[in-house]
Amino acid sequence: MENNIFEQILKQSYSLSILKHRIRILKSYLSGYFFNGPKEQFKTEDQNFLSSLPKDFYSSFNKNNFNEIFSQFDQNISKLPALTIYLAFEPSDEAIERIGTKVRQLFSPNLILDVKYDPRLIAGCALVWGGVYKDYSLKLKIEESKDKILESFKKFLR
Amino acid sequence: MIIYLFVLSGATLGATFLYLREVSLRKKFQNQEEEKILEKYREEGLETLHNSIQKSQAILGEAELEGIKVIASSKIETKKMEEAVDSQVAELIKESQETINKSQAQLIQFMQDLQKRSLEFEETSKKTTQERINKVFNSLEEKLADFLVTTEQKTTSSIELELRAARNLIDSYRTQQMKLIEENIIAMMEQTLSMVLGKKLSLKDQVEIVYEALEKAKIDKFIV
Repeated sequence: MENNIFEQILKQSYSLSILKHRIRILKSYLSGYFFNGPKEQFKTEDQNFLSSLPKDFYSSFNKNNFNEIFSQFDQNISKLPALTIYLAFEPSDEAIERIGTKVRQLFSPNLILDVKYDPRLIAGCALVWGGVYKDYSLKLKIEESKDKILESFKKFLR
Repeated sequence: MIIYLFVLSGATLGATFLYLREVSLRKKFQNQEEEKILEKYREEGLETLHNSIQKSQAILGEAELEGIKVIASSKIETKKMEEAVDSQVAELIKESQETINKSQAQLIQFMQDLQKRSLEFEETSKKTTQERINKVFNSLEEKLADFLVTTEQKTTSSIELELRAARNLIDSYRTQQMKLIEENIIAMMEQTLSMVLGKKLSLKDQVEIVYEALEKAKIDKFIV
């Protein structure tokens, strides 16, 4: 059951930070609901997320399984196959969603992105999978064409 | 003894008496003879005196005459002498005048010679000085010309060295800068592209490029 709940959240969350943030929002919301705790003021996008979840989703939670489910969530997150992706720009949630969708189409539906920002890449991205770094950015293409570019520049310098 | 003494004394007295009497007699006789002789002499003396006076008067007359003659002669001689002296003095004056004139002429000549020599010396000195000055100027000009040529050569050489050093420095700097540019040209290009593309590329374009990168990763089988 916990896995089903987690998959529903994971399905619409493409990066680790978003996933963790949404689980925290959900926990905060349910904590207020079940334990009369302090009610947090959510942002619009967070409210949209909460309202986007189906009603039977919430029926899976109760006071007794609350902590267990969220503990299980933490374990699931740590087990998720995370693809670290370095982007040359600071992506919006929409950009992450589009890239995440593409990644899941190409590689695996359960793949989660660990998005990092590296402006030195100029354009494109670099990936880290299984501890291996692979650069697919424009920077690498320039480095590979360095000699040709230098020759072209030297014509103007001399 | 006393008797002998009395006898001796009496003898002595008698002798003395006799002697005195003889002296007295002789004196008396002598005086009479002397008076006769004296009278004779007196007469002879008077005659002699008379003669002498006459002779002396004659001599005096002659002497006066001779004196007058001498005086007259002396006056004539004196006049002659004066005339001779005057003549000699005139001659002497004339000679002196001539001598003075001659000396003056000689002095003038000497002065003229001296002036001439002085002028010649001055001219020679001036000429020599001018020659020395010309020589000094020529030497100075030559030395100055040599110095200028040497200085010019040194300056030119120094400037050439400086220029060469400057050119070397510029070449070295240029090479270093070229090397730096070559080394950094990619970084510059990357930075420029990053700045330009970061502003110019739209989100859609950025995402499209990421898609291409992901598809390439798929082809590379980077993610298994």
